[in-house]
Amino acid sequence: MSEIEIQLKKGVLGLCVLALLSRGDSYAYEIASRMADAVDMGEGTIYPLMRRMQSEGLVTTYLEESPSGPPRKYYRITDTGRERLSEQVGDWRTFTAAVNGLILGSEAPMEEGETSHEA
Amino acid sequence: MKRNEFIKRLKAGLKGMPQEDIAEIVADYEEHFDAGAADGRSEEEVAAALGNPSRLARELRFEAGFRNWESARSPSSAWSAILAFMGLATIDILILLPVVLPVIGVVFGLFVAVLAIFVSGGFVLIAGPFSGFPGGWLVAILAGLGMMSAAVAAGALLMLISIGIVNALMWFGRLHYRVIEPAIHAED
Repeated sequence: MSEIEIQLKKGVLGLCVLALLSRGDSYAYEIASRMADAVDMGEGTIYPLMRRMQSEGLVTTYLEESPSGPPRKYYRITDTGRERLSEQVGDWRTFTAAVNGLILGSEAPMEEGETSHEA
Repeated sequence: MKRNEFIKRLKAGLKGMPQEDIAEIVADYEEHFDAGAADGRSEEEVAAALGNPSRLARELRFEAGFRNWESARSPSSAWSAILAFMGLATIDILILLPVVLPVIGVVFGLFVAVLAIFVSGGFVLIAGPFSGFPGGWLVAILAGLGMMSAAVAAGALLMLISIGIVNALMWFGRLHYRVIEPAIHAED
């Protein structure tokens, strides 16, 4: 994995977790394994991230019985979390659109690309 | 690495944090191993996927120090934030230390000086009028009050500067493990 990939993935980890949780509550193991499949990074990183998001009030936790073994800690997205998610999704779209514009710049003139983003 | 060893190394790395925080963090990782086992994965597999426990502990400690500092701006939370920052103890921070330590020393020295000016201002205010202060008793009282309020103003300014310094350290700490450390140990 190249350096730029690692940095990009670390940066959007929080956004991905919020996006997952916006579609339903989940527990850390499930979040971590879905992220690990898609984003390919250490599963352990999920816990510092979840603690940070909890202290920022983006997610809350509750315990629920699991079919196997002891109760599990579930995470639920809060209203603040949803607001943050839509902000970050907006930022992400703007950013990727700008990067796409630059990457594909050779096919289309730059100025055209720029005006279309501002429009 | 087996489950026991992972948890042992994690706990060792978290030493110094409040007991209930350690218990909560350890419970999170224990739960992860349980869920992994229910998923049919071996302890070694789960531990390998989790990553280096000492590094995770450093990140968790630093985050906790940062949160304390965010929620309560006090000398003790500043101190523990600085300790958590030092706890990251890796090359780039060791390089930074010769710069950071003198700055902390100078700020501390200035605090002492401000306190001394405040105290001596109080002394001039109280003792000045009775000991033939040049210019008379009114001048002594005004000089004393002036010294004390100058000390208070300088102290407030110093407070702002030290809050800024600790914030800068925390910013660097986050930058450190989000960007610099992954760049140094890209493989773990």
